[in-house]
Amino acid sequence: MLLLGNEAIARGALEAGIAVATTYPGTPASEIGDALARVAKDAGIYFEYSTNEIVATEFAIGAAASGVRALVSMKHVGLNVAADALLTFAYTGTRGGFVLVTADDPSCHSSQNEQDNRYYALLGGIPLLEPSSPQECFEMTKEAFALSEKLELPVILRTTTRVSHVRGPVVVGEIVPGQKKREFVKDPKRFVTMPAVARARHLILLERLREASKLADGSALNRVYKIGAGGRSGIITSSASFNYVMDAAKMLVMSTEVLKLGFSHPLPTHLIVEFLKTHDSVAVVEELEPILETSIRAVAQHEGLETKILGKADGAFPQAYEFDQAIVASGLAKAFGLKGEIAKTVSVDLQNLPVRPPVLCAGCPHSATYFAVNKATNRKAIFASDIGCYTLGVAPPYNAADLLVCMGSSVGTAGGLARVNDQPVIAFIGDSTFFHAGIPGLINAVHHGHKFLLMILDNRTTAMTGHQPHPGSSKGPSCCDITSVSIEEVVKGCGVKWLKVVDPYDIKTTTDTVKQALTQNGVSVIIARRECALISKRDQNGAILKKHYIDQEVCKKCRTCVEKFQCPAISSVDKVQMIDDASCAGCSVCAQVCPYKAIKEAR
Amino acid sequence: MADIYLVGVGGQGIITASRIIGDAAILAGRNVLLSETHGMAQRGGSVVCTARIGEVYSPLIPDGQADVVLSFELLEALRALCKASKNTVVVSSTEKMIPLSVSSQKLKYPTLDEVRTEGAKIAREFVLIDASKLAGEAGVPMSSNIVMVGALAGTGLTNLDRKHFEEAIEMNITRNVKENLAAFSKGFDAVSTKSRT
Repeated sequence: MLLLGNEAIARGALEAGIAVATTYPGTPASEIGDALARVAKDAGIYFEYSTNEIVATEFAIGAAASGVRALVSMKHVGLNVAADALLTFAYTGTRGGFVLVTADDPSCHSSQNEQDNRYYALLGGIPLLEPSSPQECFEMTKEAFALSEKLELPVILRTTTRVSHVRGPVVVGEIVPGQKKREFVKDPKRFVTMPAVARARHLILLERLREASKLADGSALNRVYKIGAGGRSGIITSSASFNYVMDAAKMLVMSTEVLKLGFSHPLPTHLIVEFLKTHDSVAVVEELEPILETSIRAVAQHEGLETKILGKADGAFPQAYEFDQAIVASGLAKAFGLKGEIAKTVSVDLQNLPVRPPVLCAGCPHSATYFAVNKATNRKAIFASDIGCYTLGVAPPYNAADLLVCMGSSVGTAGGLARVNDQPVIAFIGDSTFFHAGIPGLINAVHHGHKFLLMILDNRTTAMTGHQPHPGSSKGPSCCDITSVSIEEVVKGCGVKWLKVVDPYDIKTTTDTVKQALTQNGVSVIIARRECALISKRDQNGAILKKHYIDQEVCKKCRTCVEKFQCPAISSVDKVQMIDDASCAGCSVCAQVCPYKAIKEAR
Repeated sequence: MADIYLVGVGGQGIITASRIIGDAAILAGRNVLLSETHGMAQRGGSVVCTARIGEVYSPLIPDGQADVVLSFELLEALRALCKASKNTVVVSSTEKMIPLSVSSQKLKYPTLDEVRTEGAKIAREFVLIDASKLAGEAGVPMSSNIVMVGALAGTGLTNLDRKHFEEAIEMNITRNVKENLAAFSKGFDAVSTKSRT
């Protein structure tokens, strides 16, 4: 069957007999959780969208330490949140198989950075598997569970966007239900990491890593591919880069040997030494950081080998952005001094084409909120933003983001901004992000009396990643009952004294409430609540809303509806503004935006 | 081997189209890799999918190396010409989705003639079809994407049989199957009957 890399990981985990799976959604990892959420009940597993990545990881640790198999998945930056739990769990080790999937995002397709999470394997002393294709996603997930139990260590399975989001043929096996219940056997000298325990466990971890290195040397996941007649030049690669190497070798009509590392940490040292000894020059091809390259150079130095090692250090391959076969072909040609024919591209003048970046949807409540905030502040405020659809408000006409670093950063940075600036400060955070990482920042602001307005943009879902539920939702995945947590109660519980809830579709009330909030001392909170328009549209709730049109006889062509407000349903071509009936979500916000009452409900 | 580069705007059914191509390839016993755009880019932005049929490893198509560019929107066809060369057939829908940058920044959306001229300069063949109209004629106005799959099949460059595409449509589309097969057929005829040079 044709499976997405992420779906193949979910399938592999089911065949490995997992008892529990957790995640916090994030591109490019989201479909692992979504696939498991759909089948959890039928497969008899427990699945949850946890509040954030560290909670997801801790939950899985509790289950795996008891002896069942557990899968936790997240995007690369999610592992920054989860790292505190993971790095010490490597010390205690696990009983049941524990696999953490990190989906990295070279080129930042949907991310705020392109960090290389292979470093977490090195940092924590954690075995690392790197699939290249959907078939390998499936196989390596199963293998990762076996390896985890053999070594009693957590295992990291690391993909990239071009592994997670590739769909290809996968030959699957049988789903064998695994053990779902265990009795936790107490062993505080292993599982309670007091300093004395931690010191002892570190040595055990190092011993296990030596064992892991031997397993890597003998692993079928590390193998040599002979291309053409082979020869004295070789390539060492892993992950998506392997795919580009194989296609590039064909483009260049190369004769070479490729050592593909599927089990890449700890390094299969003997295998590497053998490969270096049998080749005069070896190119190391990897996206982002020169992790393999640096380690392989160290191995060569240690062994006193004179094999020429080529890679990023010589500038043959770039250290930023994802590769493709053309980039790798040109890198290999440079490294080996080949004169292969790399297809020439025709230059097209694309400079002046109108850009089409992602935008807030028709009927998006965030658009209404941003319009109201700009009106209330006359654009004289500093906006601390956060991670979600609403980050798109950074673009004109709203310009509603001035500082953003990570999940939850709006609330934390707002305090610092407010302390040293005289302008009003407004922090924007989504409902899911508020639960994920906003709450400690809010408590900090209350406790220290930081003066800013926090707007919680509550669209009742985790919209950007595909509408996953969060702690405020009333409906969760198929397998389990959930309780909806009230944002109001949380905000009040944090000690906030000034809290209002508004419907962002009501521009006047929202604008007035923002003005009022900015006169408060200390932190004030507005919850702007309105369901994501895509969900309203899908569930037909939107049917109660009326579509709108522009009465061309009343319209004064002032362009307010396209210059101060932005809606994909409203276009302005040849000086005429129009609403596309099929796209209109019927939110009525444009009618409130128009100064001449030219936008009217369709009859 | 066939490298197909699909472009359009989020919400046009491009991922569904690419899955149909993928299933058709599998039904024909061929290897296939698809790459998909998920996440932030889907919010009304330019969307790209690729389908590579044959013994390939990478799902990506470098500049100038597509065999077919299949564009679901006129402006996106122009943007995708960087993937085309004198070995490429470009098929584009004439459907226009005006980006907000045209409305708010008064940028100019290219005319049909400008797109045609630029396309003919770069591609081996540049074919325009009114996918939206053909879908309407088939009784499924929302199925322009199926018309485009038909158009791809009509180029004859995938080396897949028509019946494989039809079977793949039945696997992926649950409602109005007959009408969708008619939409496929209209796309197929619109391209296969054009004079081929």
